[in-house]
Amino acid sequence: MELLPQALIDGILLGGIYITIAIGFSLVYGVMHIIDFAVGEWIMLGAFLGLYLNKWTGLDPFLLLPLVFVVFGLIGYLLQPVIHRVISGRQGNPLLMGLVFTFGLALMFRGIALTGFGFYSHSIPSTFSDKSFFYEQGTFFMTVSGIRLAGLIYALVITVALHWLLKKTNFGLGVRALAQNRDAAALMGVNGKRTSSYVYGIYVGISAMTGVLIGSILSVSAQMGPDYTIVAFFVVVLAGMGHLAGVPWAAFLLGLVQSFFLIYLDPGLTMLAVFAILFTILLVSPRGLFAKGV
Amino acid sequence: MKAAPLLELKSVTKTFGGLTANNQVSFKVQPGEIVGLIGPNGAGKTTLFNVISGYYAPSHGQILFDGKDISGKPPYELAALGIGRTFQVVKPFAGLSVLENVLIASFLRYPKRAQAEKHAWSILETTGLADRAEVSAAGLTLAGRKRLEIAKALALEPSFLLLDEVVAGLNPTEVDLTIELILKLRDQGVTILIVEHIMRVIMQICDRLAVLNYGEKIAEGTPEEISSNPAVIKAYLGETAA
Amino acid sequence: MRSKIITWSILVVLVLGIVPLFVSDAFVLRILTEAIMWIGLAITFDVLAGYTGYLNFGHGAFFGIGAYTTAIMMVRANWPFTLALLAGARVTTICALAAGFPTLRLRGAYFAIATWALSLAIQQLALILTITGGPDGMRLPPFLNPLYFFYLMLGVVASTFFLLWFLLERAPFGLKLKAIREDELGAQSLGLNPTRLKIQAFVLSAVPTGILGGIYAYWITFIDPASTLSDLVSDQALVMVVFGGMGTLIGPVIGAVLIFSFKTIFWAYLSDFQLLYLIILGAVIALSVVFLPNGLWGTIRDRNSGRGGLKKKLTGPPPGIEAEKKDETNKSILTAELKSCTQKDGVK
Repeated sequence: MELLPQALIDGILLGGIYITIAIGFSLVYGVMHIIDFAVGEWIMLGAFLGLYLNKWTGLDPFLLLPLVFVVFGLIGYLLQPVIHRVISGRQGNPLLMGLVFTFGLALMFRGIALTGFGFYSHSIPSTFSDKSFFYEQGTFFMTVSGIRLAGLIYALVITVALHWLLKKTNFGLGVRALAQNRDAAALMGVNGKRTSSYVYGIYVGISAMTGVLIGSILSVSAQMGPDYTIVAFFVVVLAGMGHLAGVPWAAFLLGLVQSFFLIYLDPGLTMLAVFAILFTILLVSPRGLFAKGV
Repeated sequence: MKAAPLLELKSVTKTFGGLTANNQVSFKVQPGEIVGLIGPNGAGKTTLFNVISGYYAPSHGQILFDGKDISGKPPYELAALGIGRTFQVVKPFAGLSVLENVLIASFLRYPKRAQAEKHAWSILETTGLADRAEVSAAGLTLAGRKRLEIAKALALEPSFLLLDEVVAGLNPTEVDLTIELILKLRDQGVTILIVEHIMRVIMQICDRLAVLNYGEKIAEGTPEEISSNPAVIKAYLGETAA
Repeated sequence: MRSKIITWSILVVLVLGIVPLFVSDAFVLRILTEAIMWIGLAITFDVLAGYTGYLNFGHGAFFGIGAYTTAIMMVRANWPFTLALLAGARVTTICALAAGFPTLRLRGAYFAIATWALSLAIQQLALILTITGGPDGMRLPPFLNPLYFFYLMLGVVASTFFLLWFLLERAPFGLKLKAIREDELGAQSLGLNPTRLKIQAFVLSAVPTGILGGIYAYWITFIDPASTLSDLVSDQALVMVVFGGMGTLIGPVIGAVLIFSFKTIFWAYLSDFQLLYLIILGAVIALSVVFLPNGLWGTIRDRNSGRGGLKKKLTGPPPGIEAEKKDETNKSILTAELKSCTQKDGVK
């Protein structure tokens, strides 16, 4: 019982990071109908860029985020036309092909990273790393690590920024129109291809930045990708595919499940529990827990 | 109007969340009739089609087919009972040939491949698609795809056919051909419920009409009665100036 | 085309059947046995991926379930291999039904995710249970008769191939699955029950996979979660199917042979091949999707039969229609339509 506040706070802090993993992923699904199997690999590659930039420049990883965003945003922007070509093919099953394509990318990235960076785990030091807040009242106590708190703040900033971008700007209006109806959006003068490229760029950029944070908070390794791909999938399925508003709740829920398993139960069972939850949700409500209407 | 109706809707209501797409719709279709379902855009015609063909379960009310309650039964069970339908947005199985498209529907009545193929060929001839049997369904013109849509529904050997805008978008000659086909089907004993925007077609082929507006049935009667019904003129004909 | 394929297939099986008479080298036999196994894994993967349009990342899990069940029955219950293998098939069937009912209600991407999660969960389960030996895996009683395994593998894969060929290319089942792949909602109005068809396809794909897993376990004599239940089983099957040609039976066979030969050859020359192999697998998938969306076999077939690749003859049209076949202009379509509705003249 004494550990309850700790479990809660850890879960929420972890959930914050998961928001940023899933939000771009969900956005890309909503706009382009792509399930990106490479999401975890973008996180991994971003984390390594952060790691090396930090080694070379000695700058704090939080200061490096904009640069990582720009580099990967550009990669995503340039890659999108290829994906567009795959999913707009007339023959076969384009959506399935999109899935297969990003899966191929994921394997390739993982292979390249394992070859180039090896199997070792690293971490990216930050000034927040050794700060933490301790709180005690009666038998309750909890520790809030500075870096995790910074991670949550980063997640909130990203979420708010994306929300602003989508709801308050012309670009966001175009994106939302595109998600609603491609043909109608084209009639309204939205350049579908370019908008999709921007969206994909933003998503890859955010994922890479989140990778840097994960590298500071947890660790960086070439095999880390699939762990975070499953996180993105889980959160997005829970939230309802393409349903952005449900993402934070689903992310916090996953964070809590993980931290409770870590503290109270066997961490080795986490994957089984996650699967059991995923399975149940898909059975009960295939559209996700937080998606309302159609 | 003497025999038992083939299809009977008893105050069928369909809501999506807070939105009522169909409200307390009741009407009957007698065997051998062609009944037109008309109404302005967004009146709930396609939704009603989806409810009748089993894609949506009605929120309230009952649907009787041949005296049996079919409300909420899945589309494939209704197909087996003899209800065929076409879709407004035609989506043939694009990766398959025209013949294969019709063949798939033929399996319902002819589970053996050889018989199914024979049946499919006869359907293709009836619908005038036989010369394009081996062509990829994706390569058909709009008229061809609409034809294929009807052919697939016919391959089920339905006693009742739901046609959703099968002539919209066709040129006048193609329209006439489709009308001929529909009348021929009626002569073969198929009962038809048709949604259509082109009034010329509706007036020409329908025995009776039901008019939907904002999800509710506002009138029912012969084409002549409907075209002089003030409520209909106000809601529908007035708007589109037909 | 169709009967040709089956003649060639029978010929290939016969040739493979007499290979051991001329080749006694254990290494070659071993390579052949494994190649045949991969052909089996690829064609069964394609039942769902190519014919039905569902990516099953749990394919490897069914391979593992078959392997583990066979191993457990042999090691812990001392069952003879044949009985244990049958038990493996039975357990795979049950698992496929249990996993299929919920997951196959999901569309495309959801399904891929759910099956991937399933395979991870099965791997975790094998790691923590004691009956599976946890991370240490299980050792089976060795039976060192390469010929036995060669013929067993060949027999099972050949039977699977001909069964699938009959069900998917001859019987209505294959076309029905393709209808589900093309338009699941629309197919329902034609009397098809998608859930039922998909579960049948799922079981049809999983059971031979489980049997192959069981044979593999006895043949290799050692299984553990890291190798037998790794993602690589599904991943390689996916590459073989995509590269060879989805939605065909020959495509996956070609893909399996090429990818497996490639892997075997390079494995011999490069020591740290495993990582490079991952890169190559990924690149092959991504590049084939972009440049060979129909796979090798699909592309070859399309080249040979004009552009569409749909010139398959079924029974041939009745006489009289053949003559109009070439003419595809709008006018001829109209005359054909006119001809077909001659009786009525009531309409203007």
